[in-house]
Amino acid sequence: MNSSGLPIWLTDSASGDSVPAILVGEIGEQQLFDWQHHWRPALEETLARLRASRVPRERWPQTAHWNWDAKMRQIEGLLAFRCFAVMAQGVTQGLMRVDLNHSARLTEQAAKPLVYVEYLEAAPWNRADLATPRYRGVGTALLTAAVDLSFQEEFLGRIGLHSLPQAESFYRDVCGMSDLGQDADYDRLRYFEMTSQQAATFLE
Amino acid sequence: MTLNLSEAEMQVLDDLSAKKDLSKTAVLRQALRLYQTIEARLDRGHKLFIEDAAQNDKSELMLL
Repeated sequence: MNSSGLPIWLTDSASGDSVPAILVGEIGEQQLFDWQHHWRPALEETLARLRASRVPRERWPQTAHWNWDAKMRQIEGLLAFRCFAVMAQGVTQGLMRVDLNHSARLTEQAAKPLVYVEYLEAAPWNRADLATPRYRGVGTALLTAAVDLSFQEEFLGRIGLHSLPQAESFYRDVCGMSDLGQDADYDRLRYFEMTSQQAATFLE
Repeated sequence: MTLNLSEAEMQVLDDLSAKKDLSKTAVLRQALRLYQTIEARLDRGHKLFIEDAAQNDKSELMLL
């Protein structure tokens, strides 16, 4: 991926049309500006609507407390962390931070290095669990970037992550990752892992 | 850049390369990332522990 990013396509949910987008290998000033000035107001609006509708708290977006500004400051200058963003129509549509210091847990690839997806979030208007998403394919594009990075780093497509409950079906059913169950050492979140074979299938 | 390693160091690099299924270059890049991450955490006042869950043993790893 060059500095200007990799051209990709999203789907406009309303029209079904393909929308040109760019996968960028960084989270920079523009992405953090969009998070602050576009994502957060949209999220606040959503939360106000959910509150007013008396929607149970467990159905509120579980990433509402994520602060991307702080997440970027934590890893400044560290080689082990990589970040990606999906841009479309000049606005950030999704963000991801990964860590290259992790090892696989599945028996067949135990102790082999993998790309660990620490945080992956689509813009509030792209979340299918909150409303009809504006663009579809953001999560898939970001996870594809993680798998591609895994191949570039000689990790053979292996990736791993702990999923928030609202995203479990995406990683299990859409991405085809192995579900290793709840992790008692990680807030009881379910841990998912993708093998080289699963990565090849995912990229098809 | 030329990297000069002793025979023992080269053997460790070979072993890790085989175990992790990585080229020697990739092993060294991984080592550098990990070393830098640990140093950054220690600089922030964190401690590094090694835990043996089976033996219920936990020891602090001192890095000088």
